[in-house]
Amino acid sequence: MKKIISFPHIGNYHIPIEILLKLIFKDSVIMPAPKTTKRTLELGSRYSPDFVCVPFKYNLGNYIEALENGANVLIQAGGGCRYGYYAEIQELILRDLGYEFKFVKLIGHDLHPLNMFRVCKSIGTNISFFRFLYYLLLVIKMVGFIDRTEAYIRENIGFEVMENSFDKLHAEFFGKLRDISNFTSLAHVTKEYEKAFRKIKIDKPENCLKVGVVGELYTAMEPFSNYFLERELAKNKVQVSRFITVTFLFFQKPRDIKKILKSAGKYLKYTIGADGTDSVERSKTLAELGYDGIIHVKPFGCMPEVNAMPMLNNIGRDYKIPVLYFSFDSQTSETGVKTRLEAFYDMLEMRRKSREDITKFENRVSWS
Amino acid sequence: MTIGLPRALLYYRYGVIWEAFFKIIGCKTITSPETNKQILNDGIRFSIDECCLPSKIYMGHVYYLIGKCDYILIPRIASCKKRNDVCVKLNAMYDIVKNTFGDISILDYNVDNHNGLNERRAFINMGRALGCSYAKALSAYKNAKKADKLLYEKKVENQNRLLENNDKLKILIVSHSYNCHDKFLGYPISDYIKKLNCVSVFADAADREKSVVMSRKISDSLYWIYNKESIGSIKVLEDKVNGIILLTAFPCGPDSLVNELIMRKVRDIPVINIILDELQGEAGIQTRIESFLDVIKDRARL
Amino acid sequence: MKTGYLGVDTGSISTKGVIIDDENNIIANEYLWTEGNPVNAVKSVLRAIEKQSGDIAVASVGTTGSARKLIGAMLEADVVKNEITAHAVGTLVVFPDVRTILEIGGQDSKIILIDNGIVVDYAMNTLCAAGTGSFLSSQAKRLGIDVEDFGNIALTSNNPTKIAARCTVFAESDLVHKAQIGHKREDIIAGLCLAVVNNYLNNVGKGKAIKPPIVFQGGVSKNSGVVRAFEQVIGEEILVDKNSHLMGAYGAAILAKNNKKGRVFGFDVAKMEFVTKGYECKKCPNNCEIICFYKNNILIDSWGNRCMNGSVAEIMSVKSQ
Repeated sequence: MKKIISFPHIGNYHIPIEILLKLIFKDSVIMPAPKTTKRTLELGSRYSPDFVCVPFKYNLGNYIEALENGANVLIQAGGGCRYGYYAEIQELILRDLGYEFKFVKLIGHDLHPLNMFRVCKSIGTNISFFRFLYYLLLVIKMVGFIDRTEAYIRENIGFEVMENSFDKLHAEFFGKLRDISNFTSLAHVTKEYEKAFRKIKIDKPENCLKVGVVGELYTAMEPFSNYFLERELAKNKVQVSRFITVTFLFFQKPRDIKKILKSAGKYLKYTIGADGTDSVERSKTLAELGYDGIIHVKPFGCMPEVNAMPMLNNIGRDYKIPVLYFSFDSQTSETGVKTRLEAFYDMLEMRRKSREDITKFENRVSWS
Repeated sequence: MTIGLPRALLYYRYGVIWEAFFKIIGCKTITSPETNKQILNDGIRFSIDECCLPSKIYMGHVYYLIGKCDYILIPRIASCKKRNDVCVKLNAMYDIVKNTFGDISILDYNVDNHNGLNERRAFINMGRALGCSYAKALSAYKNAKKADKLLYEKKVENQNRLLENNDKLKILIVSHSYNCHDKFLGYPISDYIKKLNCVSVFADAADREKSVVMSRKISDSLYWIYNKESIGSIKVLEDKVNGIILLTAFPCGPDSLVNELIMRKVRDIPVINIILDELQGEAGIQTRIESFLDVIKDRARL
Repeated sequence: MKTGYLGVDTGSISTKGVIIDDENNIIANEYLWTEGNPVNAVKSVLRAIEKQSGDIAVASVGTTGSARKLIGAMLEADVVKNEITAHAVGTLVVFPDVRTILEIGGQDSKIILIDNGIVVDYAMNTLCAAGTGSFLSSQAKRLGIDVEDFGNIALTSNNPTKIAARCTVFAESDLVHKAQIGHKREDIIAGLCLAVVNNYLNNVGKGKAIKPPIVFQGGVSKNSGVVRAFEQVIGEEILVDKNSHLMGAYGAAILAKNNKKGRVFGFDVAKMEFVTKGYECKKCPNNCEIICFYKNNILIDSWGNRCMNGSVAEIMSVKSQ
């Protein structure tokens, strides 16, 4: 039987993952799970434990829809906190539902290429370890570029002169990535699009409103799960910055964790689990950088991010920077999210205006 | 010098060691009282709404101790051995307390085996911070551990004796110690079971080491040490008990997954899952326990 | 003829409309139940305030509330604002020094913190409806009393019963239980008011510095029992304006006054036919649920789309083919 390999979604990362898997498993079909929709979440919630965090439900829904479409090998990553334990329970639930498939946890307790290679071997590939390593490094580099590009898009899409110019180029860019199989072609595409994105006309005032998004990785990176929050903000001409990306999680964070903890200053003595430490450190840094507001996102009941909230409250108070908190679940009402986002934007603008008025007033006073 | 010990969370596991350790090095201790309505309400007041109930209760106990001692002990536990992590809530309690209550004097120790900090070193560091010598701190730690071990063995022995009794139905309560032994949270449940003329036994009084080994029969990828102990106890005791109650506090992260696993994998013995909430109506829970016991009695008769 | 500005606040439970004049005085107002049909509710509101206001030219319209977008399209509003901003704007006109706004409406509640006339922080309940207006009226029904009498009965109690009201389901069973073991009715009612307040402060009010002057508004602010409970728990005077239930609509009217687009509003929209139709856009796997809004059978707006495929222009072009 032909292997049909599938995996759940998070942001746009299904594209590089698909590219990597296609390079490794040349004889298999690589089929990312169907795009996440309301149905995905409904399916996932129906079969999930009661108060498990919501990424579990999205992943499970993705798997069910992939199985419905004929997938027979499912891949789950793995990581800290509850995420590392998703795989076992999800496999069990899917088996109890009567599906037949092979379930593979790609990343074990440590992130070592040799372990990943062993896992890939067990799925079925005859490429050598060196080939594997080559492809892995290629895609890691690609992801790095995607992350840089998307950070640029986030900060500027709200100011595009021609509607949709960023989205159009973004789609074209992903199309080009799909043909890449070596470093030379990656370098070409990188160069070409680095320029192309910067050529898009934007009308961005120097002192535009700036908002930073911090929080749990899935709800930060998967727009469907946060009700396209970054896009909503951009519509109001806000520069949106977010630091959590795959590049950060896999490469910067493990290296910099001690630095991050130190930079969190008086707000943290110890790490507080998963992304909680980063949320605290980043919020403090954003405040120091003069951002206008912080949005903190998490699944309902997310332990590390709930841990971070008392510190975020203090940062908000100490630096006088507003922090908006969102907890996402399968029951979250989209209207509620939009209302609070709109109010947040209004508030930031009002604060900005009053600050400018005060400055103007002070200037007048000092001039006279 | 007086050290305040909040009677919540890890107190139920390390309380004996703490009390013994501080006594040996010459510190007085004061322990907050059993959880009551006031402590619960204070805890709720000082916690983020989405926190789990036991951590809210913890905050209530800390609040109670403020001003009643020189230092409040808030340990930070991250990992015990390789692949033996604890819930991230316990990684963060120190910083949560610090950020919530501001300038209070906290005594802490940090156990993080992944980063080369084992329990012994942590206790010695704490002892030295309190002004005693390395040797004194070490011997205090060793003696405290010994005292704890003795008490624990006795607890296991007592429970084993209970398990030999075959006149009454025996119900295994699988739960974090800080849930099932809390006067406000879980105690009313074991008390009610007793009133119904049944015996309750506890996962945390099954042999810990044996439990961890046996837990692999249910799952070999589990990495939370406390959950390993509790699911392993099911395998250790399943032939000796008539039913299992999974007692969980809302919204416990690890339990949300582990309970699902147990419900799906343990099928030869009746299991119910009871979720404790800060507003539990006692009547509802009693009805559930009663009907659960009735089912078991029917089964036993067959 | 006088000039007026219309503000409409359409919530899930109630719909409010006011007309103000150039001096921010309310010259007409109406408050009624939405009953699941915001368009009809707004039509009724319009008819009522047209009658009250007499000879007036409405220069601009503002909408707010959860149906602000729909009603904004219906009335061709000059400004469509979220209810947090609208409440803040309205309250600041009546109480320029306000620091804290507590608001409990039919199905949600919020807190808004203000410093020097600027919104500096806010929160909205997100998880459940416990402790809001609809919760109180369902409990009143259960106890067999009119929700309007609720407050006055609560004020007669000296010993409020403790009720767990974090969740509607729990609260109901607890209420029944307390009634069965013989608590007095007024104590239970006062207890409910207290529970609403505690629930509010532990949920939306968590971690917020509540500073005076404190203004309480929304439908529940008409309940004197809840007002007293707030005063007891917070230990500060709670201000309630006589129009506290209209404050969202009032804010929308103020915003309308400040954002005139120079278009004349006609009350005849109340006679027009408006229809909303929902369908699932199948043009991409997003399957967005698109709501189309028709005035006299002409499509005037649509929303819910996440991409250009579902925009008004696109829908029109499909329809004309």
